Amino acid sequence: MTAYVIRRFLFLIPLLLGLSIVMFTLIRLAPGDPAIAMMGPTAAANPDYLEQTRRNLGLDKPLPVQYLIWLGNLVTGDFGTAFTFNNKPVLDLIGERFWGTVQLQGISLFLGILIAFPVGIVSATRQYSAIDNGVTVGSFIGLAIPNFWLALLLQVWIGVQLGWLPVISTGQANAPWDERWKYFIMPVIVLTLPNIAYFARFMRSSMLEVIRQDYMTTARSKGLSSRAVLYRHGLRNALIPMITVIGLQLPRILGGAVIIEQIFAWPGLGLLAFDAIGRRDYPVILALTMLTGAAVMIVNVLTDVVYALVDPRVSVADGSAS
Amino acid sequence: MADQSTLARPVASADHWNRVPPQQRFPVIRRFLQNRLAVAGFIIIVLFYAAAFLEPVITTYPYDELLPGMRNTPPSSEHWMGTDRSGRDVYSRLVKGGQVSLAAGFAAVLIVMTIGTTLGALAGFFGGIVDAVIMRFTDILLSIPLILLLITAASLFRPSLQTTIIVIGVSSWPGAARLIRGQFIQLKGQEFVTAARSIGASPLQIMLRHIFPNALAIIIVEATLWLSYAILLEASLSYLGLGVQIPTPSWGNMLQDGQRELLYGAWWLTLFPGLAIFLTVLAFNLMGDGLRDAFDPRHRGR
Repeated sequence: MTAYVIRRFLFLIPLLLGLSIVMFTLIRLAPGDPAIAMMGPTAAANPDYLEQTRRNLGLDKPLPVQYLIWLGNLVTGDFGTAFTFNNKPVLDLIGERFWGTVQLQGISLFLGILIAFPVGIVSATRQYSAIDNGVTVGSFIGLAIPNFWLALLLQVWIGVQLGWLPVISTGQANAPWDERWKYFIMPVIVLTLPNIAYFARFMRSSMLEVIRQDYMTTARSKGLSSRAVLYRHGLRNALIPMITVIGLQLPRILGGAVIIEQIFAWPGLGLLAFDAIGRRDYPVILALTMLTGAAVMIVNVLTDVVYALVDPRVSVADGSAS
Repeated sequence: MADQSTLARPVASADHWNRVPPQQRFPVIRRFLQNRLAVAGFIIIVLFYAAAFLEPVITTYPYDELLPGMRNTPPSSEHWMGTDRSGRDVYSRLVKGGQVSLAAGFAAVLIVMTIGTTLGALAGFFGGIVDAVIMRFTDILLSIPLILLLITAASLFRPSLQTTIIVIGVSSWPGAARLIRGQFIQLKGQEFVTAARSIGASPLQIMLRHIFPNALAIIIVEATLWLSYAILLEASLSYLGLGVQIPTPSWGNMLQDGQRELLYGAWWLTLFPGLAIFLTVLAFNLMGDGLRDAFDPRHRGR
């Protein structure tokens, strides 16, 4: 098992190298000069000054050399300084915004699971009942509502017309908690809704799969009540695939942050990414995409490891489920 | 997973066909039609595409005509969905925007499925080093949230309808490639492939003539589901101002254009485009799900 985990983590190194090449190439192939992005158009009008800045940034070197320098710094934990954002070190910027996103997404993920699991279980145990049909249609609707549209409607209805909650989140990070919770409600609603829809659908199908298994019939034939069979034997096994389902949702969850944080002006990594892209702040964009990619890859490995620990049928030799 | 016993069955002779009772012919279509939600989705899609094709006939005003003195007027018998802040007819823009959004989604999915099917087929069929290289590249692209990748790519290149289509198409194929690879791996072990190989069929012939038709069911389902994502992604990008640019309308940029007016009570500028996106995405999801159940009855109800 330990060898398997180590092997999986070592395998992340070539993947991360690949990711760095893809992102570096994408950003540097795009039209536009990072030096101009850093200096602003007025200062860049002076050709001597522009040349000087390009040399300071190392942009006069060939692209592969630039990549190797950047990669070398990255490996030693040096993500560089931002072109904009008052030239702060990139890691400081990310550190400031990190908790904003973790709090928001953590709450939305937790609430999504808390609501979706019982809903999915009830739906599966009463397949084709009115409740089940309602859940199926409801999850289709939950997945089809554009989240930015829902956010907009909530802002205007609850925020502006009813005036119950603050519309945008500027300054919420410094507010005391008895004020601060109000800022969370609307973004959390918007982010939780698709989580409920996704997880409830998967929980339902996972539970249905388990209900059909032979060991469930065996347990019933031993004389256990159907309730005991369902919750003692069924639920445990139905929860195992959910580890993978939740793990695989991480890119979607992190992606959702970009648009929703922008709409609510939420001081998190999503808004930082959006602003950095708009300002062509290359060091910040590269750092954010590398860290996001690394996080997703690590969570994928951890998901597989936890899955292997929980489900003894999974062989770690090839890392695949039987 | 597709049901191999029905999909990989040898082609029935005409004689066999005539002995099948008429109500048992076309089992896939019959099963699809029994699914009321899927049929509802299909009808919505047909209606929306019909509206997009008939755009010049069914619109009441040119989509970009600025009507003097008609800024932000609420829905009326003259302007069914009101007018926007520049005095343009919202209904006509919605139909034109639908044309743009549906066409963009279709074109993007065409790119996604072409790249996804080709790379997935190559990886699955040949295995080994080809598989390893393609799949590692897929893993890398899948590790970055799609919307983050799209926003980065769309803003680095000049935003336009073409950029949006290409950016969505070129970034979104890994999921499809993975799925189709799995299907090819499963199918290449089947007896009919061994049989084809034994009579000297080339790898290309086996892939195109023998495996591809059997993987088509999964490709169609995946393409249908991807149409819903692609339309949602186009709307998201255009809403952020990184997709289709005004004055060309798309449902996403109509939302962006109308959101400030919402504060002054002009609800019709955001309600109708939002509903259009919602209904289209819902309809493609319902239809894709219904198709999957129809192609593979064992999947039903899961």
